[in-house]
Amino acid sequence: MKDLRFYALTALGLILFPFIIHPIYGYPGLATEILILGIGAIGFNLLLGYAGLLSYGQAMFYGLGSYVALLTIQTFFPHFPNFWLALFLAVAFVTLVALVVGMLTVRLYGIYFSLLTLAFAQMFFFIVFQWRSLTRGDDGLQGITVPPLPLGFTSIDLTGTFPELDLGPFGNLHDVHYWYLFAAIVTFLVLAFVRTLTRSQFGEVLAAIRENEERSTFVGFSPIRYKIAAFTIAGMLTGLSGALKGLYEGSTAVDTLTVDTSGNFVIYTVVGGVKTLFGPLVGTGLIMYLQNVIGGKIDYWRLIEGLIFVAVIVFLPGGLLGSFGPRSRTWLQRALRITPQTIEASRNVR
Amino acid sequence: MGIALGLTIVFGMLRLVNFAHGAFYTIGAYVGLVVSNRVGLIPGLIAAPIAVAIFALIFDYALLRRFYTKEPTAQILVTFGVAIIVEEALRLIFSGTTQSYQTPAWTQTAINLGFVQYPAYRLVFGLGIVVLITALWFFIERTNYGLIVRAGIRDRTMVQLLGGNVRQASTIVFVLGAAVAGLVGAAASPIYSVDPGKGFEFLVPSFVVIVIGGLGSFGGAILGGLIVGELQSITTLIAPAASDIIIYVAMALVLLVRPQGLLGESEVIRG
Repeated sequence: MKDLRFYALTALGLILFPFIIHPIYGYPGLATEILILGIGAIGFNLLLGYAGLLSYGQAMFYGLGSYVALLTIQTFFPHFPNFWLALFLAVAFVTLVALVVGMLTVRLYGIYFSLLTLAFAQMFFFIVFQWRSLTRGDDGLQGITVPPLPLGFTSIDLTGTFPELDLGPFGNLHDVHYWYLFAAIVTFLVLAFVRTLTRSQFGEVLAAIRENEERSTFVGFSPIRYKIAAFTIAGMLTGLSGALKGLYEGSTAVDTLTVDTSGNFVIYTVVGGVKTLFGPLVGTGLIMYLQNVIGGKIDYWRLIEGLIFVAVIVFLPGGLLGSFGPRSRTWLQRALRITPQTIEASRNVR
Repeated sequence: MGIALGLTIVFGMLRLVNFAHGAFYTIGAYVGLVVSNRVGLIPGLIAAPIAVAIFALIFDYALLRRFYTKEPTAQILVTFGVAIIVEEALRLIFSGTTQSYQTPAWTQTAINLGFVQYPAYRLVFGLGIVVLITALWFFIERTNYGLIVRAGIRDRTMVQLLGGNVRQASTIVFVLGAAVAGLVGAAASPIYSVDPGKGFEFLVPSFVVIVIGGLGSFGGAILGGLIVGELQSITTLIAPAASDIIIYVAMALVLLVRPQGLLGESEVIRG
């Protein structure tokens, strides 16, 4: 019953979202872009919020996802351009990369883990940047015609829009592309997947490892395996996000693989609220919305973004949802409680 | 190349890799730039580490202290946030374009070393780095502050029980590390150009050096620096396109074969 209410409310929220954000200085594609990047942030939160692993290398999964999806259409299978194939190959490739990188990185802790993931992201950045014959280097992949979405006997051109229908203060139905519907369905499935996962035994063990790794080892779990699994799933979802963004725009560039992209996922997730299901999505929405409204007028938007980010860490350590949501008290209590392992863990940085 | 190596060894030795460390480097570079263009190069080199040390002290008291006892990720996040703010603030003040120093005439001359002509400034800089590395080694290995910090990394509670002031010692090391980064930033800028993102550019290769050499190992930082420097020089000759990638491949290989790094102790991986 509770599940049903959750799914119904999530679906309702996703349906209403573009009609709320578009009239308040949004633009038609903004809702779609927020959802696509939000999927990556939700995946990243599985790592940061649930496993306590702060990766600064999500850009490698995001960027590789966008490149593999578009290269599948343009270069690998030029005579058989297929939307599902592009999406599948991109996600499968990124999942494999995430598995390998995860195996090499999760043994490290704290800042060392963060910088190691960052270093791997830099490696992929330089590979994509230098492999000009395949990736066109810093020109990026531009103007690729993305095939329509095949659905059984028919297929839908996702760039098409809904019919004309005036909705008064909520804009016009015509402004919503089919892309939004597709992104919303994928987001819904991802939310359901992550929710099920974090409520399963897997999620419980991850939280136990985060809180006290030694004890969970003694109980009989293998922290490394669980962390690799979390890293791989997070990479897979971030790769999905990148693949969708590539297919949505029909283009991609090396800046999808930069440190800034990795940092954005961190900012979205932390501002929205780690350890909450909807936090990353809310954070992505808020930051991208503010960037659209403020960033268009002034050129030091990124400075403001940094100030917002630090203010949230200092004053709202649980993020927007984690500090005001129903579970805020337990989370705040946990954040303020000083346990031996938090002291021990705090050595990691200094 | 030797200079980048020096920088990475200095960063690696300090073991204070945090995201704000790149920002310290950049602040030092800009303070050095402004002072040396107005007054002179030597006052610039003196002003830069002092300014950065003051900034680091304020940063430590105002922000970092709040996070000492909280989740470790919060500390990393706050240094990342401050790094963004510093980079963007510098971009706002000095514009994003690269700038270069006006340096005294002697720095432009070349010195004949018998076998090769070498630019005077680079030579002085290289010697300075060697002096700095020696001084840092002495500080960390031979003074009480260094001892407390090194012991505190292993068992903070025990050191405090024994009467060591870990907090004070780590603040001193943090501020000192920042000052060194600031000095290096000011001194390196006549060789490399200055732009707001410069500090971050050095941060990641420095970390690769530490991973290859071994986390927490002093000699490891030097060994890692030499390996990275040599690999890059050789690859630049053979396959220039791969020179940026090779150090990461080496890092991945080291992690695969010896996760604690070449000279690292396995327990230090924990942190």
